[in-house]
Amino acid sequence: MDELHDVVVIGGGPAGLAAALGAKRAGAGDVLLIEREKRLGGILNQCIHDGFGLFLYNETITGPEYAERLIEDTVREGIRSETGAMVLDLSADRVLRVNARSGYRLVRAKSVVLAMGCRERTREMIEIPGTRPAGIFTAGAAQALVNLQNIRVGNEAVILGSGDIGLIMARRLTFEGTAVKGVFELMPWTNGLERNVRQCVMDFGIPLELSSTVVEVRGRDRVGSVVVARVDADLKPVAGSEREVRCDTLLLSVGLIPENELSKRAGVELSPLTGGAVVDETFMTSAAGIFSCGNVLQIHDVADFASHEGFAAGACAARFARGEVPAGPRVRLAPGQDIRYVLPQLVRPGTADFDVSFRPVRPLRACRVVVRGRSSGKVYLRKKCARLLPSELQKLRIKPAVEEDLEVACHE
Amino acid sequence: MNEHVFVDRLACILCPVGCELEVRRTERGLDVRGNQCEKGIEFAIEEVLYPKRNLATSVPVRGSVTRLVSVRLSDRVPREMIFPILREIACLRPEAPVRRGQVLVANVLGTGVDVIATRTVE
Repeated sequence: MDELHDVVVIGGGPAGLAAALGAKRAGAGDVLLIEREKRLGGILNQCIHDGFGLFLYNETITGPEYAERLIEDTVREGIRSETGAMVLDLSADRVLRVNARSGYRLVRAKSVVLAMGCRERTREMIEIPGTRPAGIFTAGAAQALVNLQNIRVGNEAVILGSGDIGLIMARRLTFEGTAVKGVFELMPWTNGLERNVRQCVMDFGIPLELSSTVVEVRGRDRVGSVVVARVDADLKPVAGSEREVRCDTLLLSVGLIPENELSKRAGVELSPLTGGAVVDETFMTSAAGIFSCGNVLQIHDVADFASHEGFAAGACAARFARGEVPAGPRVRLAPGQDIRYVLPQLVRPGTADFDVSFRPVRPLRACRVVVRGRSSGKVYLRKKCARLLPSELQKLRIKPAVEEDLEVACHE
Repeated sequence: MNEHVFVDRLACILCPVGCELEVRRTERGLDVRGNQCEKGIEFAIEEVLYPKRNLATSVPVRGSVTRLVSVRLSDRVPREMIFPILREIACLRPEAPVRRGQVLVANVLGTGVDVIATRTVE
């Protein structure tokens, strides 16, 4: 078993492509990028809408364009990529079992970057009662059928959940002649970006109902209708508010889950708050030399941010591969009032000038984000925000050197 | 006296601050509030008076194992042009190879904007 690489990146989407580039640019001699699909780019390939690249390229382009630019960079910079290859197993000492086009083999890596992305939540996971007819799709599956396979998913659709993919698909189906009867969202706020609510739903007069959900699916072979109902403050359906909506298609845009099967195999510690790995300020997980970035680490709303994380994680992986192994104890970063999670969760004492991402638990207006030392009470950062939304990943930069556990809290 | 008629409430999407803008009609024309910079006024007035959009779809491509090539417009067009342009695009059957950025329809419907491929199909 002699195949040894400096850095192996698992997953060739926006985070993995950037991680491979980040590793190479930070001096890794030999970088291998492994992708399960036939083509690099990951989910970008089916995201044919624009809005990508605003942060990375300072212009708005579509998913496929964004992917091709990153892919061209990897080719130009001599990164070897292997498509149609699936990593079946990963161990804590960084041995990968790979099922590739050429057959099964073992690959060793000085450092590994996890960039496997995420999966969509399904009907089974949210337990919608009713029959089990054809015509129920996750929004992303429908997106792949429409945008890559030229398959029309139905004539009349209802969309459950106001995540970005659901909103984007409301517009996409409208373009393809499928009538969108409504978008129904359980929470009292939308889960998608403001621009998508406006440009994908309001532009076409599609009803968007908050605090409502689908309580039943009807139909034998094909969806015939769904029953929608309002929900109360505890998110329980309100008796008597049920209404039947005729449709032959139900799209679900009800959340994304980081795909950490391989991380678990390697014994990487996961966070119940993010569903991704617990990492330090170098994006290293609890397994030495295994790094994580993109949607497998935390769900992003913008591909550019997944790439941004990828570049950083890749560069750190390259340093680890060179033997620049940061060691020592770490202090903890924890979420406080009105904060769902904070990332990284661990920071090496003495670290200064580093990025922290977080999400609030609910929409907040005219609030103040405060980062405070848990033992000294020292304020490391105080920032005023006009509004914070759970649908928008927030970033902070902590400037002072950290010497103790920190708490990030928000006060309205 | 109070002739300030509410027109629209929208979040500015020009930068990450995301100011919440409110547009009202006054005797002196449209009035924008909530903006932290000048760009917000321009954004809100364009959005209310003549909203512009890009559009993306995909078309079947001939002579390749890849079924579809995705396309978009080279620039935004008035929103009411979306469906007329989609009807034009629906007739396209480009022949492979298609390069990213290749113009598939120049000056579509006289808008001064081109329909371009957004991926490369060999």
